[in-house]
Amino acid sequence: MTIRGGAPGGRAPTGADDDLNNLLSRIATRDTIAFASLYKQTNAKLYGVVARILTRGDAAADALQEVYVRIWEKAGEFDPLKGSPLAWMATIARNRALDEVRRVRPVSLEDQPEGFEPAAEEIDPLAPRERSERLAALVDCLKALDEEKRAVVLLAYYRGSSREALAKRFGRPVPTIKTWLHRSLAQLRDCLAS
Amino acid sequence: MTVSPEHDFAVAEYALGTLDASERATLAARRLREPDLDEAILAWEARLAPLAEAVPEIEPPRDLLPAIEARIRGASPEAPGNGAIVELERSIRRWRAMAIAASLFAGVLAIGFIARETSRQSAPHEFVAILQKDAASPAFAVTVNLDKQELTVRPVAAQAPPGKSYELWLIDSKLGARSLGVIGDTPRGANLSAYDPTVVADATYAVTVEPPGGSPTGQPSGAPVFVGKLIPVSP
Repeated sequence: MTIRGGAPGGRAPTGADDDLNNLLSRIATRDTIAFASLYKQTNAKLYGVVARILTRGDAAADALQEVYVRIWEKAGEFDPLKGSPLAWMATIARNRALDEVRRVRPVSLEDQPEGFEPAAEEIDPLAPRERSERLAALVDCLKALDEEKRAVVLLAYYRGSSREALAKRFGRPVPTIKTWLHRSLAQLRDCLAS
Repeated sequence: MTVSPEHDFAVAEYALGTLDASERATLAARRLREPDLDEAILAWEARLAPLAEAVPEIEPPRDLLPAIEARIRGASPEAPGNGAIVELERSIRRWRAMAIAASLFAGVLAIGFIARETSRQSAPHEFVAILQKDAASPAFAVTVNLDKQELTVRPVAAQAPPGKSYELWLIDSKLGARSLGVIGDTPRGANLSAYDPTVVADATYAVTVEPPGGSPTGQPSGAPVFVGKLIPVSP
């Protein structure tokens, strides 16, 4: 059912970006055929974003529905000059998933279902792969962080880990994690600006 | 754009996702009213967003498109016979009519009492806020009487999702989010005597979706779905 955009696990080529840009501008004019096409091309990607944060299947599926309703409502606000269409949609998906995961209670990594081993499945954007220019720049800046501090940022991004969950996982007090986050984020911001 | 360093950390953590529910809800409400803050959040989201490229795809457990399509058809303003929108337009017309009537009445009063002392003219006492998701979708009308320290909230066009409750919050930059209670289908009041009048007048009012009966923690469980600020009923 799903048409994969781009190389497996890799970055969608510019042609796919153009295609998604075009679909989003049609969706802004309330084109439901464009909407169905966008869903088919992107649902597995956005489910990948949401399901890593909301590890229970029903919560992730509910959130994905909300995400596409928001994409429908906000398509007119997308600006291709500020980033790729997939990055824009993934941001909407993350925000929805984060609202939901914080809603119940702070999710700790100990809450993962039995047999689920996060360490075996961590996403490593630094691994060799095809990258957009924007990701390549960000990866260069991430490489400049200490390994542990980089892992904190990536777990927060991909898993939606709270400060408390990160404190447990890294055996540090919450204020230390907060300081790490602030330093790492400031370093990333300055590095990306240079 | 002027965002203090401390502020920027909160914004950066919002984009990364490490804020707790209350901090998150407070920023989510403020960004709808503060363009500088919103811009700072968008900039941070754009810095981190390329990371999503590396996320491996996962097939959803079932085809969700039919359910999503049903929802967007229901939400489309072009959909014929959309009762909520019609009711809303009526409400807006009523509000306008009331505003015109009120200003005419005020005019009559002004003429009638023009010769009397004007010592009672001071800061405004009556305020109104329309809580909305965007300019086209007002959902709740909030009125506040500062003299009586009373707030009334009236649903305009909002219905809580099945099995959920709407909860109203007063959000102040120092106090954080304070619950003003769960909102049903009928107008209801809340007492504001616990708050300083300047806090009441300057606060952001926000509605969140909560489990039935309201937030179990006393803090907003998620980002607000409707927000608004008070404006004086008369200048």
